[in-house]
Amino acid sequence: MRDKKIIKFTVNGNSEEREAVVGETLLKFIRDELNLTGTKSGCEIGECGACTVLLDGKPVNSCLVLAVELDGKDLLTIEGLSKNGELDRLQQAFIDHAAFQCGYCTPGMIMAARSLLERNANPNDDEINEALSGNLCRCGAYQEIRDAVKDSAKK
Amino acid sequence: MLSYEYVKCTGLSEAVDILAKEEQAYPYAGGTDLMVGMRGGKFAPKKLVDIKTLPELNVFEENDQGIIIGAAITLNQIACHDSIIKNIPILAEGSHSVGGYTIRNRATLAGNICNASPAADTAAPLYTLDALINIVGPDGNRSLPVEEFFTGPGQTALKNGELVQSIFIPRPFPAGKGVYIKASRTGSVDLATVGVAVQNWGEHVKIAVGAVAATPVRAFSVEKAINEKGEKSSAEAAKLVNNDIAPITDIRGSREYRYHMVEVLVRRGLEQTMGV
Ligand SMILES: Cc1cc2nc3c(=O)[nH]c(=O)nc-3n(C[C@H](O)[C@H](O)[C@H](O)COP(=O)(O)OP(=O)(O)OC[C@H]3O[C@@H](n4cnc5c(N)ncnc54)[C@H](O)[C@@H]3O)c2cc1C
Ligand code: FES
Ligand code: FES
Repeated sequence: MRDKKIIKFTVNGNSEEREAVVGETLLKFIRDELNLTGTKSGCEIGECGACTVLLDGKPVNSCLVLAVELDGKDLLTIEGLSKNGELDRLQQAFIDHAAFQCGYCTPGMIMAARSLLERNANPNDDEINEALSGNLCRCGAYQEIRDAVKDSAKK
Repeated sequence: MLSYEYVKCTGLSEAVDILAKEEQAYPYAGGTDLMVGMRGGKFAPKKLVDIKTLPELNVFEENDQGIIIGAAITLNQIACHDSIIKNIPILAEGSHSVGGYTIRNRATLAGNICNASPAADTAAPLYTLDALINIVGPDGNRSLPVEEFFTGPGQTALKNGELVQSIFIPRPFPAGKGVYIKASRTGSVDLATVGVAVQNWGEHVKIAVGAVAATPVRAFSVEKAINEKGEKSSAEAAKLVNNDIAPITDIRGSREYRYHMVEVLVRRGLEQTMGV
């Protein structure tokens, strides 16, 4: 029998109370229980960063976090960035710079970059590389991604 | 999906109690080894004991004795710590070389050594700093030098019910320069194929190497040549590292490649820190 726990948390600004299965990853919970499928599943072993979300403001690989750990915490996913149907400036910068080809890494990249911009309003290339070191882009859009992050920092 | 229980403890004694009494109960810190290991079938816990929020393990302080790093402190916290960057940069480098940025927001120093991979990137730096591992368990507290903590691949000196409470780096801090050099297949997010820590202590040097034996090891032959016999050539001294290691072939590199790389990295480490 699978153990279940009631967890209370906020996701993208809204308070929620849900049942989470012990042993389920936060990634699976976000996609299958909260139906927020912007967060992507790539490797599920911490290597690709497609599943990056902000937990209490910090970027983490949601495939390596247990859903029950969300209890009492604040979660921000890619869906939480746009306001009233308007993209936030980092999302817009990714579009302006065509900072993707297939787009699979994009939600994770944007979440990791957003957290960088909160820590450091004007990052250089090295600082961007460091913050995105856990995020892989198999299409190789790294240069455009750096440009988008820098451009959005200027605005 | 695996089936197990999850408990978030409120006190250290509660955690020790559960770990001592229940079989297949694992301390759960950052989970970056555990979550991957559970998926791969390496760990099959019946209970995960979340120790991250225990106040006793969230200690991170510097005093006139040294620096105490609680078991819940993450590698990013260590890599960004002002005094560690200034006084023991070798540990900041070792911590920073683990995985990518997001991994280090969860991964802990204690988890890195308790997982006891021979390639653990923080181990070699800790070996050159005389680090002590503070352990708490059902029979009370004890401390071990880090070199006695590692007993084999994935094996530590921890007894049933024991857990690491903190890691202690004693003063005086090294007078000279220290470097951690890692060879890996990719620039980030990979375990070391070879990891080398060289710490100049002013009067002598300490060297430790990872991923070339069943545990991280000190390169005593190299140390002896420099510290006692006055060897001045880093190339000659570095050759002796072969006496101290027993590498194997695995997916990250062959035995021969490791023999070669460890010598190269020890030489570079000596050049960068000792100027010999
Ligand atoms: C993508 C990826 C890349 C990685 N890259 C590297 C790398 O480059 N170099 C490297 O060295 N490692 C690497 N790792 C491994 C891992 O991230 C580190 O070993 C990390 O420091 C483990 O810490 P944790 O807190 O996540 O441990 P956990 O997964 O929570 O625990 C690891 C083990 O230690 C035990 N444990 C944890 N805390 C304690 C304690 N206080 N007392 C007793 N036992 C305890 C657990 O029960 C478990 O057996 C990588 C992992 C991933 C997923
Ligand atoms: S899916 Fe989580 S890091 Fe790849
Ligand atoms: S755009 Fe395809 S993986 Fe990055």
